[in-house]
Amino acid sequence: MIPSLGLRTPLRLVAAVATALLACTLPGAVSGQQRGGTVVVAQAANPPTLDGMATAAEAARNITMHIYETLYAYSETIAPIPQLAEGVAISDDGLSYVFTLRQGVRFHNGKEMTARDVRASIERYRRVGATKSLLAPVESVEVTGDHEVTLRLSARTPMFLEAFASPRAPVVIIPEEDAAAEVGRISMVGTGPYRLVEYVPDSHVRLARFEDYAEDTRYAGSDGFGGRKAPHFDEVVFRIMPDPGAQVAALEAGEVHVLERIGVPSGRRLAGSDAIVVHENMPWAFTVLIFNTAAGPGANRDFREAVQAALNMEEIMAIVGEGLFDLNHRWQYRGSTYDPGEVGRDRYNRSDLARTAELLARAGYAGEEVILVTDTASQQNIRTAVVAEQQLRAAGINVVIRQFDQPTVLELRRRPEGWHLTTGQMGAAPYFGPVDTLATMTGAQPLFLAPDPQIDALFRELANGPTVEARQETFRRAQAYLYESFPIIKIGDWGKMEATRSNVRGYVPFRIPRMYNVWFEQ
Amino acid sequence: MAAEAAPAPLSLAAEIARARRRRRAAFLRRLFGHPSFLIGFVILAAFAATALLADRIAPYAPTKIDYRAILAPPSAAHWFGTDGFGRDILSRILHGTRVSLTIGLWVVAMVGVFGTLLGTLASYVRWLDGLIMRGLDGLMAFPGVLLAIALAAALGPSETNAIIALTVTFTPRTARIVRASVLVVQGMQYIEAAHAVGAGHGRIVFRYILANALSPLIVQLTFVFAVSIIAEAILSFLGVGPPPPAPSLGNIIADGRSYIQEAWWIAVFPGIVIAVAVLGLNLMGDGLRDVLDPRQRVERGGH
Repeated sequence: MIPSLGLRTPLRLVAAVATALLACTLPGAVSGQQRGGTVVVAQAANPPTLDGMATAAEAARNITMHIYETLYAYSETIAPIPQLAEGVAISDDGLSYVFTLRQGVRFHNGKEMTARDVRASIERYRRVGATKSLLAPVESVEVTGDHEVTLRLSARTPMFLEAFASPRAPVVIIPEEDAAAEVGRISMVGTGPYRLVEYVPDSHVRLARFEDYAEDTRYAGSDGFGGRKAPHFDEVVFRIMPDPGAQVAALEAGEVHVLERIGVPSGRRLAGSDAIVVHENMPWAFTVLIFNTAAGPGANRDFREAVQAALNMEEIMAIVGEGLFDLNHRWQYRGSTYDPGEVGRDRYNRSDLARTAELLARAGYAGEEVILVTDTASQQNIRTAVVAEQQLRAAGINVVIRQFDQPTVLELRRRPEGWHLTTGQMGAAPYFGPVDTLATMTGAQPLFLAPDPQIDALFRELANGPTVEARQETFRRAQAYLYESFPIIKIGDWGKMEATRSNVRGYVPFRIPRMYNVWFEQ
Repeated sequence: MAAEAAPAPLSLAAEIARARRRRRAAFLRRLFGHPSFLIGFVILAAFAATALLADRIAPYAPTKIDYRAILAPPSAAHWFGTDGFGRDILSRILHGTRVSLTIGLWVVAMVGVFGTLLGTLASYVRWLDGLIMRGLDGLMAFPGVLLAIALAAALGPSETNAIIALTVTFTPRTARIVRASVLVVQGMQYIEAAHAVGAGHGRIVFRYILANALSPLIVQLTFVFAVSIIAEAILSFLGVGPPPPAPSLGNIIADGRSYIQEAWWIAVFPGIVIAVAVLGLNLMGDGLRDVLDPRQRVERGGH
């Protein structure tokens, strides 16, 4: 299946777009969706909080994007589209953004959303937002009408609307009364199609249809994180089930209707079943290896290139992706707007042991122990570590694996000693584009111990690039730099499988399991 | 007379040695004549032999990855199939038994030493009794495996830490058993006699007390060995045993958990191996108990 990937991926893209278009026309347009029922979605992890703006965790986003909405949202093709906003007027100097709000939008507590709520929400985001640096250019937020808010920026920021619409830790709109509350202390009231009923950690999150939900009639159906959202289910229950085997058994028994992630072998087995529909969501994430560039052998550039030269990406990705993968050397998904093309291709997937030996000699490496740290939470991380260790050992690098729980790994990675190499998966950042991707590599954290001035400069240039072409050029240079300095090594892309009971209709896989415009066929 | 007298002590010594040999032979005959001990012994010997010979008999290296043979079902090339990395399950089990056996033996040795030391000290040195036993009671307040998991998780995943965690967990019960049997033996008249003829503490403890308090300890240690193999599997299953890619029976089962329906062979084969090994050890322990415990022997003879 590997040689055919080059062909299959564009086909998949076409298929995905076609399904998306179909999905846009189906709900609302076609009669046949039925109201009612309780849909149960299984996911592995507890949401750290349901305070939508305060977390960038996938486990939270899956749920909070049903409760809250943003002024602008990302479309299926990752472009900002209006959601709670009617639109935005940007001044010629690019310093003033005037958002007009939709009227008649109600919060779950019955109150109508006004400009005062929006201002309060944005102010709170600047205080507690999980990615509040995205709003760093904002100088002031003013209420300029009952349904009008004006943002003034301190400097021209061409990518501001993209940052403002980013769903990683979304700038969600909450009632003004909640604005002073600390993280997690809000009333969890939003404007979304479902409202929160209860959250029992380690058990479930229960949402119920918001009867007064104001559907955005400008759209025909879901479009990415936005669009028209029709809550057909009476209730949506997100059940927390850490064990993948138990999730699959529950799906087969019909106790769970949606698995937002299912192992590829299980997915392949169930693909033939009449009761279950299996969906491919490809690409889902990057697999990467991150160096400690501050201390140990990884501080030497030649050593880092030796690791790059030694690795056989095909072997790692076949095992990480369980067969659903793409040997993509790019720091963006293939075929996306900012696809940087072939830059660095010649240094990817080499497993060139002669070159590795030469680089190791040049780096003065004398068999010191190289500690590869990985966490127990992610199968992908463990698999990456195990296969990379075998390959690097065969290439003469004395790698040992140290496995810890996730908090310990995150803590360890803040320190220069005790680790030299670590595994990682980047899902959302590359999906949301080059700015998000490079943003994770800037500054001192979270990826690297010390800021890399070259990356920081490239990031500033990218964020301020006036046109798409200029930004594409900058990102090409960023990719060239990553394949020259190797602070982080791209291993490949993998896809995930999702599964639904076949009576769940209208479901289209995306970055979150969307439970609106989806219904039970009775 | 003098010429005749000289060989007398010699022949007496030879007589004692002969008697000892006879006793030992009779003991071994009784032991191996006990069916459950024999079955257990054969199973355990097979387990130990595979562990020792893993390098020679395993068809593949246990960490050899083959991404073209991921999750291959049992076949001529891979008798027990392969896992998600394309690694041969049979080879991993064979090497995994080595980890189990190593950890089991270390734990038995350490528990034997510390259990005996603490148990004997507590009963022989009266003023230490309260101190030691209350400390051990504190450890015993935790459910055994839970304590081992907590310790292994706190110390970090490695083979040595698993041994330490299991030793700390199993020492209190062993010490308690040693203390109880030493207390019984201590009250015997021959100990008093030994004191009376001026035997030193060392001689009394090792020659008279421990030698006579040994049988419950041996039964307890076979039990510790069996439980360590299970506990090691539990620790590895939870990811706090020896770190990957080292195979251990527990982490092979953990790997297979997510594929239980698609690739049952990953979890089932090591599961069978654990079950059989533990069965063997329990049978052996039962046999030992029957043979070593004179009271039961008498009861059996009586009926």
